[in-house]
Amino acid sequence: MKRELLAIGIVVLILFGLPVGAFIYQRQQTSSDSTKRVIIIQATVPEAGGFQPSAIKVNAGETVTLRFSSMDVTHGIAIGPGLGIDLGHVDPGHVKEVTVTFDKAGTYTFYCNTWCSPDHWRMRGIVEVTDPDNPDAIPIAYHDPIIERLVAEGVNIDANVTMGMADHPQPDVLTFDQPPSIEKGNILAATLSIPEELSDAEWRLTHTPMEGLELLADKNPSNSMNDLIHVIAYLWVSDTRFEAIQWAENYFNQNCAACHGQTGDGNGPAANQTAESPVAFGDAAYMFGMRSDVLYAKIRRGGMGTDMPNFGTLLTPEETLKLVSYLWQLAFLAPNSGIE
Amino acid sequence: MIHLQKLFGLLRQHGVILSGIILGVIVMTFPIPRLTDPQTRTITLDARQFEFAPHRIHINKGDRVIINFTASDVVHGFYLDGYGIQERVEPGVTKQIEIVAERTGKFRYRCSVSCGSLHPFMIGELVVGPNEPFWRAIAFVSVSVITLIAYQFFSKGTSYEHTTLGTSPA
Repeated sequence: MKRELLAIGIVVLILFGLPVGAFIYQRQQTSSDSTKRVIIIQATVPEAGGFQPSAIKVNAGETVTLRFSSMDVTHGIAIGPGLGIDLGHVDPGHVKEVTVTFDKAGTYTFYCNTWCSPDHWRMRGIVEVTDPDNPDAIPIAYHDPIIERLVAEGVNIDANVTMGMADHPQPDVLTFDQPPSIEKGNILAATLSIPEELSDAEWRLTHTPMEGLELLADKNPSNSMNDLIHVIAYLWVSDTRFEAIQWAENYFNQNCAACHGQTGDGNGPAANQTAESPVAFGDAAYMFGMRSDVLYAKIRRGGMGTDMPNFGTLLTPEETLKLVSYLWQLAFLAPNSGIE
Repeated sequence: MIHLQKLFGLLRQHGVILSGIILGVIVMTFPIPRLTDPQTRTITLDARQFEFAPHRIHINKGDRVIINFTASDVVHGFYLDGYGIQERVEPGVTKQIEIVAERTGKFRYRCSVSCGSLHPFMIGELVVGPNEPFWRAIAFVSVSVITLIAYQFFSKGTSYEHTTLGTSPA
């Protein structure tokens, strides 16, 4: 009789104790702290719905935990701009979470940073942070001095022509058979008289290397154009910081390499799926006709009709400039060195 | 003398089996000379839903293999049975995997990151040749079969002889 009671007790414990235990565990998981909100976000490829939910409303100053899980393939989760949150890969069956306090009212974007499908670049969600004292306030439009200056100058950011080439005819002797060498440029630069403009970072931001080359050639008529190319390459990467490159390389590999290629050859695995073939930043000849501020604007605004997504809602202006400096590295360093 | 005669008799009776066994042992233990020098090979291995390209890699024992591992659509992984090597690869970023083939045989590599509905079937093979266990097994089975057939053939002959001898008036 005693044994029978014990057996019944065990059965009851399993039948009722297990589900009750599971419920209690789940409650503890979701609301261990009642003041902290937990938002569960499920990630699927954009063809199947993308992030769900894809829009979150948060009060300024509120602390929320965003818990991400993947429903199909591996996704990468990052939140920007300026938050510096990168959760890395979220594999199906795994959960990653981050607890954030959104101090300022504004709009943030959480996005997938690992190529997951042909529509990967559409995979974005919004965190809308509203000020509880003033919930109807419309955030002030963000001013971008670099882009505004480009617009004022009349530069067509979407034009698919390389600038500088047309107004500054390319000298016949110029060849890019051998990629420009930073080392050679560094050595040569010491022996030349460098025009003032070229040492000015602000000037280099708004001009093409081709324009720089012409100025340099005017000052040093005795040197061959092909030698001067090395000097220009050296000058264009001269004030790049190592930390910036490290950050940008990682960001480029996560977000850009799938189309533009890891080495900037414009031939990533997804390159054949875009409306226009991706630009090859590793092509020094192309980059010699390109301006830093135009690259900056293209990254921030995206390319109209080219399938190049906008990164203005993901990156801060400083981060965008870091990325631009990495593109110059790709042009002048790859493939013969340094960068892997 | 009688022992020796007995032995010869046994040999005559079971010579086929005995030689078969000896041949079998030789086949299983004979050291196969190395035909090619170990070399370094570079292979590009592309992973996509739900296959590896190439799905079979042939190398020789002692070879150093550098695999440039790429993914075409989503994140994939590489896990090599018997070597315990694991890597994951994102589309666009090439990963380098180095393997020194110390063991011969056939080893499966499979995707180690859940990549979709048919993920469990995403398998490829690394064949480290010469595939000794395989060829030894083939040789051993052949020797056994030939021995059995031969034994059957010879023993039939013997039993026939026995019957003729037995019925003869001598």
